[in-house]
Amino acid sequence: MFGFSDRSISNLLFWITRKKWLILSFLLSISFFYFPTPDGLSSEGHRTLIIVIVALSLIVSETIPLPAVAMLILIMEVVLGVDTPDGVASSFMSDAVLFIMGSLMLAVSIVHQGLDKRLALLVITITGNKTWRIVLGFVTISALLSSFIGEHTVGAMMLPVALALIRNAGLDTGKATKLSSVLLFSIAYGCAIGSIGTPSGGGRNAIMIGYLAEFGMAEISYLDWIKMTYPMLILEIPIVSLILWRTFTPSQKTMDSSVRKLKVQVAKKGKLNANQIMAIGIFILVFLGWIFFSPIFGLGTVALSGVFLYLSFGLINWKEINRNTNWGVILLFGSAISLGIQMKETGAAFWVAGQTLTYLEIIFQDVEIVRWFVSVIVTGLLTNLLSSAATVAVLGPIVLDMGGNPVITGFMTSIASAFAYLTVVASPTCMIIHSTGLITASDYFKAGWKLFIISVFLLLIVSLFYWPSLSL
Amino acid sequence: MKILIGISSKKYSEPTLDVGMRIASILNSSTTILDVGEKINEFSYKDVSIANELMESWDLDRPGVDVLEWAYNYLQKENYITKSSNDSGFSKNLLVDKGNGRSEVFLKGSAVKNLSLILRNGDIIEELRDEVQSFNYDLTIIGGSGKRSMAHDLVQYIDSSIFVVNNFNRKQTYRILLAVDDSEGNKKAVKFAVRVAQAFNIEVDIVSITNEKRVSEKFHSYSHRAEKMMRRTGVKSKVRFVKGDLVDTLLDVAGNNHIIVMGRSSQSPLSKFFLGSKPLAVMESCNCPMVIVK
Repeated sequence: MFGFSDRSISNLLFWITRKKWLILSFLLSISFFYFPTPDGLSSEGHRTLIIVIVALSLIVSETIPLPAVAMLILIMEVVLGVDTPDGVASSFMSDAVLFIMGSLMLAVSIVHQGLDKRLALLVITITGNKTWRIVLGFVTISALLSSFIGEHTVGAMMLPVALALIRNAGLDTGKATKLSSVLLFSIAYGCAIGSIGTPSGGGRNAIMIGYLAEFGMAEISYLDWIKMTYPMLILEIPIVSLILWRTFTPSQKTMDSSVRKLKVQVAKKGKLNANQIMAIGIFILVFLGWIFFSPIFGLGTVALSGVFLYLSFGLINWKEINRNTNWGVILLFGSAISLGIQMKETGAAFWVAGQTLTYLEIIFQDVEIVRWFVSVIVTGLLTNLLSSAATVAVLGPIVLDMGGNPVITGFMTSIASAFAYLTVVASPTCMIIHSTGLITASDYFKAGWKLFIISVFLLLIVSLFYWPSLSL
Repeated sequence: MKILIGISSKKYSEPTLDVGMRIASILNSSTTILDVGEKINEFSYKDVSIANELMESWDLDRPGVDVLEWAYNYLQKENYITKSSNDSGFSKNLLVDKGNGRSEVFLKGSAVKNLSLILRNGDIIEELRDEVQSFNYDLTIIGGSGKRSMAHDLVQYIDSSIFVVNNFNRKQTYRILLAVDDSEGNKKAVKFAVRVAQAFNIEVDIVSITNEKRVSEKFHSYSHRAEKMMRRTGVKSKVRFVKGDLVDTLLDVAGNNHIIVMGRSSQSPLSKFFLGSKPLAVMESCNCPMVIVK
């Protein structure tokens, strides 16, 4: 047909079927472009919203690689005249992006030191051999560590500990059991609740801090963040442990021989070596830097200083950092933040916020409830469909333009974006445990819906009774 | 001939591996056994890789290795691999990273020319298609799937012949049901039916189905040519002429005790894409193993 061979037509059809969301996004964007601009929305705002729709549909459908989505956002911002090339470039790079980049590199550097075996020893020394205590220990350690070094890193480091315990218990690591479910979910959900604890817990926290500062609404320091969120984190630890235990009660109530074998396995590694001690020392320095110097130097600069030290002391080489850092995610976060800034500057965020308030007020009759609904429920649900950082990057400017105290709304949004309990794609940790083949997509719902509801309720209590006492 | 056998889990893949290796050994083909693991989303790809590396440092198998190990043990048990390559049993150290998320174990086959085990991650159709296009396989053998879209994508986009091992039962005595018509792939289908019949030592029903009142000379000639080929190769066969709709009648005749062999449709890719094709219609509804010869 038209001089094309059957094979090239077949290749084209294959491309079309695999890229249908890309084609659909372009068709949608062209049709939206020719729609009349709604009342109250600027022409630039109209075009910015087109980019938001295209970007969201491409992120959800995973039709094209994430770096390609990131580039498309920047290209569309310039081509559609939302901002000048220089304006787009400067909105792409910010302290928040440097912070995300630095945190990911720090995570790679820490994993490289082989501290996972030490972590295993720490967990089982604290918990002993009772299974419920091991579950509580997994949730606690995952939550506390992930609040400082990021949930994905802790998830990756804790996974072998759980699988080693399962194997040592004489169970097949290729076959799902209640024991495997409870241990793996205690890692994933522990990491999720921990990620709210500090700005370094998750990239989305840095994005929200960046928005609040960029829009002139508030300057939130590392310590301010901890004060706001840590009490909720602590409250969630026993709740998550209890719900997981009740949902997946394993028949093995003690794991005596399993723990003993693990201790023997870890003991073979000997004591902490000099590099490991130095790696821990550098991370403590970075942590102190975030607390004391980030108001002056920024979170990103401090994180990069840590990476500089790891590289300079030869604790990791650049090749290793380069290989294991997810550059695509960094590019996407940069573009998403740039898009968020354009949403604010073009008035698109304000327009969407206004429309949302108008329509949802008809249902809820109270603007406070609408604000709470969007920043908590909508964010929580979107997180489970998109990814937490993309949700905060896109929803952030909208919720911050909905009136009320922007700090409260911003924190509610950031915290709700950690309610990644319901799907595999909700967070990297959910994907890590799913990749073992021991957790199916439907398993996430078994305990996830209970945790989602309780977390929403807990956040409501914290925002009503605790945050006002901090006089924000 | 190069054969690709797609497996997915220890639980469901034994019939596929069994059928695949029987055919591979009778043809003495270069054979690859491929396990396609679940697609990891891009947000988490690096994190999952790091977790997998850490697991290996704990001497824990990364996902998918257990399926390869199971396949290795099966090959060893059925004597498809030579003594020298199976002395020490399966070791994940044998797994060589070939880049782009593709890892490979080379084995020395005893009953087949070359044998390798491959581990990939991603969308099953994309991975199968890439493997077939990159390494020019002649036949892809995979297990049945209840998904209609899967059958469509296999027929439409996989360039090799396809053997779908649907509801295969080792205890069942099968016959080959060779659908003979004037399609482009008919000649190849006849040859392939002979090979499968020889591999399983079974008989062939050659069937011509037409809607016309009288069976045309053309159909008689195709059927008798096929019968002659069977006779020459020592395969027992029977010729049948049946009146009716090709898809419904073929499904009816096949029941669950036949292996259907059909040539590919001669329609253009565009027409197959929008209107479907007869082999696709049969594949979507059949309850027994089926081969589409391309």
